[in-house]
Amino acid sequence: MKISRRDFLKTTALTSLYFAGFGGISNANTGTKKNLVIIMLRGGMDGLCAIPVKGDKNFEKLRSKINLDRTLKLTSDFDLHPALKTFKSLWDQNLSAAVHATNIPYTGRSHFDGQNLMESGGKIPYQEKTGWLGRGMKTAGLTGQGLALALPMPLLIRGVPMNNNYFPVGRSLPYPSTLELIKKAYKEYDEKLLNENLEIILTRDFNNRSSDDAWILASSAGTELSKPNGPKVAVFEVDGFDTHAAQGATDGAHADCLSDYDNIVRSLKSSMSEEAFNNTLVLTLTEFGRTIKQNSSNGTEHGYGSAILMAGGLVKKAQVHTDWPGLKRKELFEGRDLNSTIDSRAIYASAMSTVFDVDFKKITKEVFWGENLPNLSDKLFKA
Amino acid sequence: MKNFFRKVAYGIGPNEDVPSDPLNWALDQLNDIPDLSWKGKIYSEKELRKHYRDWVYNDREVLRKKYKDNKTLYKLNKDKLRHETGQKFWESLEISIRHNEGINSQHPVLAKLWMFWGNFFAISEKDFLANYSTGPYHREIIRPNLNQSFEKMVYDVTTSWAMIHHLDNSESAGPKSVTASEEWRRRKKEPASINENHGRELLELHTVSPKAGYTQEDVIQLAYIMTGWQHRWSKKNLETGNVWFNSEYHQRGKKTVLGKEYKKGKKALAVVIKDLVNHPNCRDFVAERLCRYLITDEPTKEMKQPIIDAFKKSDGFIPEIHKAAIKVAFEYNDKYKKFQTPENWLIQIAKLGNLQWPPSPDEMASYELGTQPSKKQRSPEKLLRNIGHHPYRAKQPNGWSDHSDDWISPELLIRRLVYAKASYNFSKMENNKNASYYESIVEKNFDNPSKIMKYLNQKNRAVEKHTLLFNHPEFLKA
Repeated sequence: MKISRRDFLKTTALTSLYFAGFGGISNANTGTKKNLVIIMLRGGMDGLCAIPVKGDKNFEKLRSKINLDRTLKLTSDFDLHPALKTFKSLWDQNLSAAVHATNIPYTGRSHFDGQNLMESGGKIPYQEKTGWLGRGMKTAGLTGQGLALALPMPLLIRGVPMNNNYFPVGRSLPYPSTLELIKKAYKEYDEKLLNENLEIILTRDFNNRSSDDAWILASSAGTELSKPNGPKVAVFEVDGFDTHAAQGATDGAHADCLSDYDNIVRSLKSSMSEEAFNNTLVLTLTEFGRTIKQNSSNGTEHGYGSAILMAGGLVKKAQVHTDWPGLKRKELFEGRDLNSTIDSRAIYASAMSTVFDVDFKKITKEVFWGENLPNLSDKLFKA
Repeated sequence: MKNFFRKVAYGIGPNEDVPSDPLNWALDQLNDIPDLSWKGKIYSEKELRKHYRDWVYNDREVLRKKYKDNKTLYKLNKDKLRHETGQKFWESLEISIRHNEGINSQHPVLAKLWMFWGNFFAISEKDFLANYSTGPYHREIIRPNLNQSFEKMVYDVTTSWAMIHHLDNSESAGPKSVTASEEWRRRKKEPASINENHGRELLELHTVSPKAGYTQEDVIQLAYIMTGWQHRWSKKNLETGNVWFNSEYHQRGKKTVLGKEYKKGKKALAVVIKDLVNHPNCRDFVAERLCRYLITDEPTKEMKQPIIDAFKKSDGFIPEIHKAAIKVAFEYNDKYKKFQTPENWLIQIAKLGNLQWPPSPDEMASYELGTQPSKKQRSPEKLLRNIGHHPYRAKQPNGWSDHSDDWISPELLIRRLVYAKASYNFSKMENNKNASYYESIVEKNFDNPSKIMKYLNQKNRAVEKHTLLFNHPEFLKA
């Protein structure tokens, strides 16, 4: 097998990082450090609420009670939900974009199965025990460079060893002298993994007494992602998109969730150095979109196609990339949902290829079992 | 050798003597299923499911419609409904009952195995199962089967309300069934189709495991056999009705699973389960999981064999399977030390440290339906979430991992450090004044008491001794 210089450097980094946790390895030789942040939007994000289509009478009629009375302008075809203020200001600087009418290839409308598949990247629920992001990191040799802002390690990032996680416990650690004694005991009993993790805890900059609000976590993550030797991958979770009732319009329940997302992006932007943000890609991930038609509780039901919100300097340009399927009844999926015309795994594969500097084909082969996904890197991201 | 008491149970408490014959002490606990030792009220699964019903019905059919234009009022009334149905209380009560069984019962070995099977046949975090139903499922479906056959256990689990709901079997309709040709399906564009979840997990997680080499077609065929097993749906009870066999949803014709043919009808499920539990891979899988839970991440063939043999010889009689597993654990006790999961670790701290844990039956009995439970009354649920190992809230149907590496991450290690420290706050007054408190714990539970005491005595304050003891490598493993 031919090994390129880049591969060689990665192999070197892998070995050392395994023992060093987060410390010590310089990225100086591998060019600029690039970051990938995934924000999981659990519950089914309504792509048509975040990015409504303009001037579709049928759509307005079907959503008479939950139409937005105020929107932010994006393009001639699409508007933006007013809760997405940061997204809009980034858009104006060519630092955010969206893909519309996209989803993972899952049509079952169960949160439980859908969330499993959006994380595993597979087609059969619960079959895979690792996540697409974890497998991608493994392919790229990114051991010890993942940061989950969650307590149990999300499935999404499983599949590569030595990920870090941060989810403040809200209490302070025992005294350093006590921790020293524990460390000594780990050493005496040759508990390598415990020792490595304790070393990470003792040397990292996180505040264990901080709040676990996502936007506060984002500020810590942003600082870490900006460090040359910090993590290259971060994962967030936002709950609550399952708005069966009182989804509302401009300031309904869905708006609150979109705000949660927007606050994470704002917090990342303000905590990251300009250079780091310019070399970062922040993508959303959800299990499905929601029905076109409002239900009798002024909410929406589980649907299919949704949208992916993208932010960061590695976004190619401000655009809504879509192969718009239309919203006429016969154009809808099963007569009720926005269809998905782009397999969202193509976007995630392209993002990993761009950020991790790994050949796209290699990603599809090792992460998505060789599925025939289109390479969208040039269309969506800066090389 | 004393780690054996933590390996197969939760250690030796301050008021207990160290058994002189550890193996028989353990084996004697496995024949009968005694009543739970919790002294407070225990609610039936049906009673709690009624609360589940009141919650979903009133949220879905009443509040969502009434407050469709006002998210603030909707949220407010939803919170009120949560308390009216005890949504924030039951799981803490259930965890208290569960932990009490490990800490204060005469059958801690049985308790540890009860917890094993609860995770083997896991109900993971879905809808509101953890709030109302998973605890009673562990008590009423898993526990009574601990002195029955594995076959009966699997059948009872498979047809339980909680598992049917958990794995969506109510939504599974045979494409060749009576309901498939109903007019409303054409009108609503809802063709009858199967949901494979339950069928797949019955093979993968509950019986033969993927090592049996079944195919996707086997999964589909098993799902066909299972069509019709569902909740009795009604406008009043929605999805909380009892489980029944609805022949109108059942797929017509014969089915073939792992090369064997099954007739149509209600009885086929019992027949196929009988075959699955008698498949060699099922015995191997159960033995593997038991060894991994009790002994090591990487069970050997030699370790598993006596359990496989006991399974075969006793026709899957669970007490015999348990005894074989305990004997193997005893035999390998000194050679292998298993890293304890956070919940096991927590129960051991409470038992060894003689802590005020779980909250007392009186404390829990003072809860009034309709009100917000007190901080103390909610502490079991909160604490288990905070340590990252809530037994009713695994993320996937395969339950919580029993691989050590999955339990070691910076945040999970922080939990061990800070909660070992916090455990001091749960100390009983009498222990604070007891000079030989630590000597007694260490003497009863460690083979090298002087070494451990020397380690603890490097610090003077009790809170630090707690932190040191419960993070010592010998305590983290058993």
